[in-house]
Amino acid sequence: MNTNKNTFEELCTGFVLNALSEDEERQFRSMLEQASDEQLTFFEEMKAIASEIAVLSSSETPSPAVKERLMDTVAASKKPAPTRQMTWYRFAAAASVIFILMSIGLFFYSQNLTDQVESQSEVIADQQTTIERLESEVERKEELLTILEARDVDLVIMDGMADMSPNGYGKVVWDKVGGRALLQVANIPSVPIDKDYQLWFIVNGQPISAGVFAVDDPAKDNFFKIEQLQSSAAEGAFAITMEPKGGMPQPTGDMYLLGNM
Amino acid sequence: MARIKSRDASALSELYDHYNRLLFGLILSILKKRVEAEDILQEVFTNIWEKAEQFDLERGTVYTWIVSLTRNKSIDRLRSKVYKEQKKQSTSLNDDDVFMPLYSEDSDPLENTILKDRAKRVHQALANISESQRMVLQVAYFNGMTQSEISEEFDIPLGTVKTRMRDGMMKLREILSKDLEL
Repeated sequence: MNTNKNTFEELCTGFVLNALSEDEERQFRSMLEQASDEQLTFFEEMKAIASEIAVLSSSETPSPAVKERLMDTVAASKKPAPTRQMTWYRFAAAASVIFILMSIGLFFYSQNLTDQVESQSEVIADQQTTIERLESEVERKEELLTILEARDVDLVIMDGMADMSPNGYGKVVWDKVGGRALLQVANIPSVPIDKDYQLWFIVNGQPISAGVFAVDDPAKDNFFKIEQLQSSAAEGAFAITMEPKGGMPQPTGDMYLLGNM
Repeated sequence: MARIKSRDASALSELYDHYNRLLFGLILSILKKRVEAEDILQEVFTNIWEKAEQFDLERGTVYTWIVSLTRNKSIDRLRSKVYKEQKKQSTSLNDDDVFMPLYSEDSDPLENTILKDRAKRVHQALANISESQRMVLQVAYFNGMTQSEISEEFDIPLGTVKTRMRDGMMKLREILSKDLEL
């Protein structure tokens, strides 16, 4: 028993001083596995005594590079690669989702803008048409007004023919000096697509064509400007007949309005 | 040590600042070459960082764990075939590269006050064991020699080396136990 104790103590002190042979070291490790508490305590105490001898070491200063390398190694080990990869993947996934959502949002926003632009373009086109129509109307009214402004005009009232347009009404304001006339008609039927109304100036029993026109809204007064109506005749009459599209050299159709100077 | 376990690099930095000179002196005394010693010193602290979880306060102090780790690594390098070959070539080619400090007998070897006091107590303890016991402990500890190498180098029977080593350590334990609370 005492021999065993001495053997353990000898091997233990040699072990803590790293002074055993490889065989002895294996032997001691084997003994340590079955060591008593007392032996384990002895082992811990011997380790403490051995480490205490280290305080007698000469104090030597290592190169600063040692600590730099150490801290670099530590810093590198603190960055777990899998987590970093995971973070990268998560970031990439999040960025992709954001990108897709933004793309979808931009697409619909773009579509909405396009619809709005198209809608506004249609409104602008409609308004442009209206403006052009009004401008044309104003221009036309101004032309008619210039006829009315003439100081010397003849006024000829036309009445509706009983069988064709009993309620028909017509009026010619003739500027003989200017060779122009204003025609106003109302309550005569709309003309078919292949027909036109034709105004005739009848002098000495001979009809002279003064122009063609169409009426598409009988309920309202329709005004027309008649160019090139020149005559020095003091007497005569105006008549309106319905003729084939474009008019005829001589009246061929039914008469709708008639009035004498 | 708890801070190191929780991966606080600044704690390792502080530990390094506290012990690097002492441990470097210890490694140098065993390996005799600065480059090798610096390599081992870095390896020791890298191990402390990586294996901090293995440290068990119930089985010893941080100081004991670190010194044991340092000596084990130094001795392993000393006895490696590669190191023995390098040492042989280096010694023959460039003697200036060979560093041969033994442990310090100076009364003021350390800057750290606490370690300085402890060194003084260990000095006094060693002074109270026999010269023959002190010699085997010193060459084993600071030169990394095995009992067989000591026996052969100093022409002392192996059994005597073992007995002197055990008795010397037992005596040191007896003297230092009060200070170390063993």
